[in-house]
Amino acid sequence: MKNKSFNLFLIAVVTLVAAWSLWPTWRDYSLSKQLSSFASAQDSLKYMLSHREEIEDARKKSLKLGLDLRGGMHLVMEVDQVDLFEQKAWNKDGKFTAIMQNVRKNVAQSDARVIDLLVAEFKRENIRLSRYFYDIRNTDQEIIAKLEKESEDALTRAKEIIRNRIDQYGVAEPVITTQGSRKIIIELPGVSDENRVRNLLKGTAKLEFRLLREPEVMVRTLDRINTYLLQSNSGVVAAKDAPLPDSTAAVTLPVDVSKTSPPLAPVVSVPTPAPASKQQSAKPLYDVIGVFQNGTAFTAEHTKEYVLSLLHRSDIQALLPPDSELLLAAKPDTGNSGEKLYSIYLVKKSPELTGGVITEAKATFGSEGVQPEVLMTMNTEGTSKWARITGANIGKRIAIVLDGAVYSAPVVQSKIPNGNSVINGIESLEEAKDLEIVLKAGALPAPVRIIEERTVGPSLGADYIRAGMQSIIWGFTAVAIFMILYYRKAGIAADVAVVLNILIVLSVLAGFNASLSLPGIAGIVLTMGMAVDANVLIYERIREELAEGKSVITAVTQGYDRAFSSILDSHVTTLSAAFLLYTYGIGPIQGFAVTLLIGTSASLFTAIVVTREIFHILLTKNLMSDKSFG
Amino acid sequence: MRIFQNTNFNFIRYRKIAYGFSVILLVAGVVSLVVKGLNYGIDFRGGSEVVIRFEKNVDVGEVRSVLDAAGVSGTLKQYGMDRSFLFSTVFQGDTGQLKSLVSNALNDRIKGNGHEIVRIDAVGPSIASDLKWSAVKALIAALIAILIYVGIRFETKFAAAGVIAILHDVLTVLGLFSILGGIFAFMPLEMDQSIIAAFLTIAGYSITDTVVVYDRIRERIRGQKPSEYERIFNESMNQTLSRTIITSGTTLLSVLVLFIFAGPAIRGFAFAVFSGILIGTYSSIFVAAPLVYDWLRLTKSSVRLRGSKVS
Repeated sequence: MKNKSFNLFLIAVVTLVAAWSLWPTWRDYSLSKQLSSFASAQDSLKYMLSHREEIEDARKKSLKLGLDLRGGMHLVMEVDQVDLFEQKAWNKDGKFTAIMQNVRKNVAQSDARVIDLLVAEFKRENIRLSRYFYDIRNTDQEIIAKLEKESEDALTRAKEIIRNRIDQYGVAEPVITTQGSRKIIIELPGVSDENRVRNLLKGTAKLEFRLLREPEVMVRTLDRINTYLLQSNSGVVAAKDAPLPDSTAAVTLPVDVSKTSPPLAPVVSVPTPAPASKQQSAKPLYDVIGVFQNGTAFTAEHTKEYVLSLLHRSDIQALLPPDSELLLAAKPDTGNSGEKLYSIYLVKKSPELTGGVITEAKATFGSEGVQPEVLMTMNTEGTSKWARITGANIGKRIAIVLDGAVYSAPVVQSKIPNGNSVINGIESLEEAKDLEIVLKAGALPAPVRIIEERTVGPSLGADYIRAGMQSIIWGFTAVAIFMILYYRKAGIAADVAVVLNILIVLSVLAGFNASLSLPGIAGIVLTMGMAVDANVLIYERIREELAEGKSVITAVTQGYDRAFSSILDSHVTTLSAAFLLYTYGIGPIQGFAVTLLIGTSASLFTAIVVTREIFHILLTKNLMSDKSFG
Repeated sequence: MRIFQNTNFNFIRYRKIAYGFSVILLVAGVVSLVVKGLNYGIDFRGGSEVVIRFEKNVDVGEVRSVLDAAGVSGTLKQYGMDRSFLFSTVFQGDTGQLKSLVSNALNDRIKGNGHEIVRIDAVGPSIASDLKWSAVKALIAALIAILIYVGIRFETKFAAAGVIAILHDVLTVLGLFSILGGIFAFMPLEMDQSIIAAFLTIAGYSITDTVVVYDRIRERIRGQKPSEYERIFNESMNQTLSRTIITSGTTLLSVLVLFIFAGPAIRGFAFAVFSGILIGTYSSIFVAAPLVYDWLRLTKSSVRLRGSKVS
């Protein structure tokens, strides 16, 4: 009772701070209302220009709405650590490839860390890590530590590169965080072109300049593969481990068999794609690809997936010349009768030059002015290397490979001394712009995959806001009316406390730049129901004391004192549950946990201190009687 | 206004009936969990979901046949909003493709009734199992934290009985989800992240009611002989009955509002919390305190309570 004036002061301070923290939100709201109230766009623009600073400031400090309320994209991406570790290994042989394939399989099925699975697999095979990783003299422990460091770095770098890409693309207020050892969480409010963003994010942007093998080598290699596949079909080699091209795609586009590509003039063999069902057995290569006399090969769009799966098979890869790889074109060419054909290239596995030397990229239109392309400039080291490479390979073809797909494979006409190069074969200027972004941002240290994606359209967001507002209004009305009916005057005090409680929750969210989501609103509504619980406990106690014939002043004092221990206990348990929810929960659930946490803590203050002050004032003015508690 | 003032129920005498009721509830729930299992949402099983909203009313069968004809495999259900459907399929790494596939099919074959894809969720299987694990961890941690806290504030027997009551409440709600899952179109009762939030809320709230009863018992039991325990337990529960019911009542009110107004995304959560609070109120009177009483009676021990009152 001694700290009365201090309590009043505290209440005043809390209320003022809450109001101050929510002021920009109110300003932002009224300013945007003002803006939309103008009759003409011109007036509204004029107003916007004259009040620009104020508008921007209010917007920056106002309470943010979560992705679900304003619409946007929530993505979780995973860094492919298996790929990263593969990159770090040296003198890789068949044994290593087999081990890594097992690791990859285990990773897909287990929650354990990739590094642990890798170590377990090596242990099972009884091979020391140092045979492939780092120095032969390193112990397993040292290598594990190094690889862990490596994957940590990779995650941080991947995050930075993704942030660069998003910044360049231009999204307002993106939130990019890492989670655990291999996840990146990306929140993009108000994104309209999800497809473009998705493509922008998922590419590794690994740019390579690779020499093409001679056409004769290419033809011989394809022949060898074809013969091998024919043999395996006739049972010489069991082909049961052939991947099923359709097993991964759940939404299967029906393959239109009637649209098989007709033979082109200079074709050695004609691609006659079999019906989709037959794709599951290993078809001979010349069923799915066509070869020109000059050594270029292609496959039709509907057989592309199958060809790609063939190229990934280790038994097929074993048939290639050393240090070689078969790659497909990134974009299809259009055949004589309008069908889409992807070229196939046999290139050297080790690149002549990689994208690390690129300093500048610019999307533009090519010399004819219609074809979009990306101009690239190299640093000094790259420039001299590029000059040497082009000089030594005049008349040969160099493929420009981005993320394992060939964009173009121009013939080197002359030595290029100035470090310039061009990517063409791009469909649209937009795509060229995106390429520019990813090239400038740099290559990701390892491929990333989208493993979770949640997109909410703006119209649903508006619905959610409406539903949330209705819940808050009705929730408050119901609880407030009940409290007044049941506790009369004291009920009003409790309702005042609830209003202050909601203000505190919103102001803390705004003050800490946290955003309000639909689960967050649910937390607020739930808090309203729980916040009055403390008042109920106190009032019931006061009623008991009053029933024992005590005076109002004594009853109020003792009611507060005696109810305190059960209020504290119940609040601590609710708070610990909310805290754990926040710790283990992800995304939307955290929003709920946060508002519940703030609301429950604040109710310790509002329901106990604030209502008590109200009673104190009423008591000193003789406005309370033993009827005041219903 | 007063409800449940000066009641005089003999809760302790009828506790066996309550035990029986609880056992039936739990057994029914467990049987359903074993036989029927739970209706997992994509958070926990992985997969992709698309919410499609049409401008005008359209029959679910028509949309289904259109999607079937377009070769998009999956299940289509009415979603708990006007003119909306939920299409779920296996996990798609590229939701853009799924979106355009669905969109094109509907544009081509349902003329004169525009649609909008208002939401797409895709959860990969690895994330799904991560989510499941962190949910289990959070629940276990919450139970342990409550056990320790109540153990410190009261006594081990009180804490253990409180945690048993929480388990009782959570299991019952889980059983309800299994029994009622998929029956109501407006409320599919799928297990997802929000239900885990509901369980933790239930756990925190269930012990709240229990603590209020405990608190009164603690206040009155000091220095009493064990032969008086039955009377003290009964009186304590009767004295706190009003506040136990009113506190639950206000929270039930706000949860009911959520159930009605907050839309389909919150409905399962609101249902879980609503039934959890109902069960939790029942269990704090009929399970937690009677268990403590029986425990004290069987071990013939008297209580040494911590956390004495100041006044």
